[in-house]
Amino acid sequence: MSAQRLQQLKGHLLHDNKMSAMAGPVSPLSTHVLNTAMGVPGSNMSLSLHRQDPSTEAWSLITTGTTNEDGRCPGLISKQMFVPGVYKMRFETGQYWETIGESSFYPYVEIVFIIKDPGQRYHVPLLLSRFSYSTYRGS
Amino acid sequence: MAAAESSPLTTHVLNTGDGVPAARMALSLHRLDTNTMIWNMLNVGTTDQDGRCPGLISRDAFTSGTYKLRFETGQYWKSLGQTSFYPYAEVVFTISDPQQRFHIPLIMSRFSYSTYRGS
Repeated sequence: MSAQRLQQLKGHLLHDNKMSAMAGPVSPLSTHVLNTAMGVPGSNMSLSLHRQDPSTEAWSLITTGTTNEDGRCPGLISKQMFVPGVYKMRFETGQYWETIGESSFYPYVEIVFIIKDPGQRYHVPLLLSRFSYSTYRGS
Repeated sequence: MAAAESSPLTTHVLNTGDGVPAARMALSLHRLDTNTMIWNMLNVGTTDQDGRCPGLISRDAFTSGTYKLRFETGQYWKSLGQTSFYPYAEVVFTISDPQQRFHIPLIMSRFSYSTYRGS
């Protein structure tokens, strides 16, 4: 097994433990950005998580982050902060393509979703190319 | 719908959960005013039996810029007696060459959606 592959496997196994050591429990909300055009994770992409105030309908920023080598962004939100409501994940996809010297049809992607049961785990991935994207509710 | 020429921008909404076109879905088209950074609504419409919405914009109005198509997916699922993970879906895109034709479909289920740039 190559050294690189071994590192990858270690990364998968240690992922949750690493976060436990640093920030307590794993975020109940996770994401994963995949660059389907190039068959690689969407790494170094800026993103932000927002929650909508139900009375004013205004968005408040909860966290900003950048995807890691694997296209993930651990520690998006803590269990305590993860209350029922309307959330938005904003992915700076235009910036991402520009950094790798390409144009894109979408300046950014925003996915708005409803959390009714914060006891569950939610995975909101983004599968992306320069001219398409998709998302689904995972766990 | 009065426009003689077809709109240079079209859409098509497909309900992959049920394997049918998403008929009677409300949607709206907006353009970003770059001076004020405010979205101006250009048109509202409802998808037909085939999940399409002709006459979105005229050739004259279709200038370069940043546009947004907002699909009232939550309302749609509610009218079918179902819940959905997404209250709505907004697709924001950049038009640099308004001479081309742009097809922005929305392929969706209660728990997923996708879009691509077609022509």
